[in-house]
Amino acid sequence: MTAVRFQINGVAIADDVPPRLSLADFLRERRNLTGTHLGCEHGVCGACTVLVDGEPTRSCLMLAVACDERDITTIEGFAGDRVIETLRRNFHRHHALQCGYCTPAMLITARDLIRRRRAGSEREIRDGLAGNICRCTGYTNIVTAIAATAEDIARETPNA
Amino acid sequence: MPDDVRGVGASLLRKEDERHLHGRGQFVADVKLPGTIDVAFVRSPHAHARIRSILVPPEARGRVFTTADLPRVKPIRVTSHSTGAKSPPWPPLATDKVRYVGEAIAACIAPSRGEAEDLAAAVAVDFEVLEPVVDPVRDMRGSRYPVHENWGDNLYIEHVLAGGDIEVAARAAEVTVTRDFRMQRQSGAPLECRGVLAYRDHRLDEVVLYASTQTPHTLRVALAEILDLEERRIRVVAPDVGGGFGPKARLYPEEIILAALALQLDHPVRWIEDRDEHLLTAAHTRDHHYKVTAYADRQGRILGIDAEIVVDAGAYGLWPQGPYHEAGMVARALPGPYTIPNYRAKHYTVATNKTPLGPYRGVGRPGACFVIERLVDEIARAVGREPNEVRAANLVRPEQMPFTTVGGMRLDSGNYAESVRLCAELLDMPAIRLRKQRGEPDGRQIGVGFATFAEQTAHGAAEFAARGAAIIPGFESCTARILTDGSVVLMVGIQSHGQGLETALSQVAAEELGIDAARISVRHGDTESTAFGFGTFASRSMVMSGGAVARASRILRDKLCRIGAHLLQCDVADVRCADGMVSGPQGSVTIAEMAKVAHLRMDGLPQGVDPLLDATATYEPAISTGVYSYATHGAVVAVDPETGFVELLDYAVAEDCGTMVNPMLVEGQIRGGVVQGIGTALYEEIPYDEAGQPLVGTLADYLLPGAAEMPAIKIGHLHTPTPHTEYGMKGMGEGGAVAPPAAIANAVRDALSGLGAEVNETPITPRRVIAAIRKARAAASKT
Repeated sequence: MTAVRFQINGVAIADDVPPRLSLADFLRERRNLTGTHLGCEHGVCGACTVLVDGEPTRSCLMLAVACDERDITTIEGFAGDRVIETLRRNFHRHHALQCGYCTPAMLITARDLIRRRRAGSEREIRDGLAGNICRCTGYTNIVTAIAATAEDIARETPNA
Repeated sequence: MPDDVRGVGASLLRKEDERHLHGRGQFVADVKLPGTIDVAFVRSPHAHARIRSILVPPEARGRVFTTADLPRVKPIRVTSHSTGAKSPPWPPLATDKVRYVGEAIAACIAPSRGEAEDLAAAVAVDFEVLEPVVDPVRDMRGSRYPVHENWGDNLYIEHVLAGGDIEVAARAAEVTVTRDFRMQRQSGAPLECRGVLAYRDHRLDEVVLYASTQTPHTLRVALAEILDLEERRIRVVAPDVGGGFGPKARLYPEEIILAALALQLDHPVRWIEDRDEHLLTAAHTRDHHYKVTAYADRQGRILGIDAEIVVDAGAYGLWPQGPYHEAGMVARALPGPYTIPNYRAKHYTVATNKTPLGPYRGVGRPGACFVIERLVDEIARAVGREPNEVRAANLVRPEQMPFTTVGGMRLDSGNYAESVRLCAELLDMPAIRLRKQRGEPDGRQIGVGFATFAEQTAHGAAEFAARGAAIIPGFESCTARILTDGSVVLMVGIQSHGQGLETALSQVAAEELGIDAARISVRHGDTESTAFGFGTFASRSMVMSGGAVARASRILRDKLCRIGAHLLQCDVADVRCADGMVSGPQGSVTIAEMAKVAHLRMDGLPQGVDPLLDATATYEPAISTGVYSYATHGAVVAVDPETGFVELLDYAVAEDCGTMVNPMLVEGQIRGGVVQGIGTALYEEIPYDEAGQPLVGTLADYLLPGAAEMPAIKIGHLHTPTPHTEYGMKGMGEGGAVAPPAAIANAVRDALSGLGAEVNETPITPRRVIAAIRKARAAASKT
């Protein structure tokens, strides 16, 4: 067991974890943060994406011990986040989710694209989603929802 | 569509979204019970081997379970009434022999999945490795070691489907086109793998199984039979299910073993499949071999099709339908929506040492469509006409409806040729022709291709009975309940896993009862709260379950009218139920007021009317052979002759699924299906080597379509309500996945027409494109 301390969704957490425990399993099994989903456990599907120190990260490939002293945000931790809330509204309006399994990670990835201004065109959005697989929607509506969000955000903050 | 329309026809936004957008969906792996122990399986590393012994280390005893440790468990056995069908027993944990890589041998339990896998790795199985059966075409009549030794051969079933006289067509033909086709083996690959959580509820004296399944009720039927347990003592819950697409509509050994473990142990057990296990052991799909000859006249009128179809069905038959339906569906669908007079299809379903084959979106139809649509284009080429002209000339015409194809499909309605025209319009053919003429600066070749198909949907009991099935999915059920405050709960026997049925079914009840869909809940996926139903597959749920909801709602509506008329002191013939109230000549009464009377103030009920607002109804369409949606798909591709890389530039669908209950959901299903079909066409493949080892195990080598490679998909609608269902709706869940392999292969063929190359095998990988070009060049240099 290894002692770790980190911030999860703004709360300081200390725990002892086996060295081989992934961040995803830690979040899901020990913190009951089940919005982080596992689709492949080898870093391809993207369903387990969370933020580690603000960067989208595959929580299935990251070990919990490697997160010591770091700041982790899961889909449960975006209360009041304007981009996520706008994305949620547009994903709903544009039917950008079906089974919902890829959705939390799609939102986290999309938020990152918008914040980095990498959602300016359909091409840019599609390339930005290359690491997140959706098996249900065919992507068209996800791309539309992200483009709409990027426009909404730009309209609300014209000088940013 | 005005905002206040929330019944049939409205693009109502989904009820399901809120929970998923907040990460609050509840999938099997999210259900937490104290004391749960994880399960990992010991699986066969060999395709074909006898088990000499299973050695469990002494310290692992009591934590490793083989068949000998689970006396309750009987083999899975599929019953088929088809003549000559063979059905092997399938022990959920292998006993004396393993027949595919990944077959379960023992279950290991530990506090975490990692520790359970450690335990599985410590179990030593002594195998006597046998030569595997991997080539179904070569080995169908027999092999040194047949997959099932007492059979003599390796055939589950063989059959000939014929109509007209193929010899007449052969003699009359002015044009003959012969081709081999191949559709490779695939995985259904929902993003959520399979999973089971099982525990014993002592208070209710039952075993509870949370499972990622499309069919909770039939899963209970199977568990009761195999574990010899009364159904009342089994509850199956399908919570949120992260995609199904067919593979989750079958019974699996793991579900049986988890239930057996829960009965034997005094703590919950769970097994959460990982992706490696999924690619190895969840139902594989497709895997067709074809040899086909088409006969036509000089105008391209198709006179006959002569086909040999071989389906590589793997080692066992998945319950309930077994391995038989894939080839049967291919044979019936292969003549497409064409007025072909003569047909012969010899089809063979072959046992091999591979993962069992199961249903996946389209079931047989993607292969059938691929074959007939490639042939249509080749016939057009041979007679010097545009493919879509030949297509339209052979398609069934509206005035011929209902029309039974030579394959036996009874097409009920629609204008198929109009879908071809509309699809071409969506793609803007003049612009494509111009671009083709101009040529690409990078040397790539542009091509456009089309494919038309009919999709049998919502077929009922008689159809499945005709296929020899022992369990025949017919009806669906709904219990509609108005509560004391006038809010509504619909309890339905189907299961929704992304299709949006919680929304669409509430729209149907809203249509019938005049109650806002926002005040209607839909409960599904739980054998405890719903009457029996077959589940979600075969593009059936909206037609079948929607019909059941409509009927149950109407029973309640009639009762409301009687109560309302009594309260309004008028004749029941003078009232109508709309907008959440019953109105008569002198006034109206709300459903909430009547609900109160029906439950809390029975003194207000008319004589002879019982309390409660609770009705159960079933529904099956008036026609059991199915109602037929249809569509034409069009693809525009750029093919690089140097690298063989195919880029999809544009994609369009012109379809007709009759009345759309929720057009937004319909389009969502189409786009999702198309992208899965594109996966079949271009990327997805599970190759096996000569030793029977599958050569993919991760999503890094099993390629699923990503956003970056996909085009935006255009959709056009035609509207021909069918006379056979409620509201005229037709099923449409699978169609999107049917035509992409055909349309894209035709587009690639068009792109490579200058080189004379064609690719008749999916996925159309760069390697296959290059091979086709080399072959064409070699043939050209010889002449």
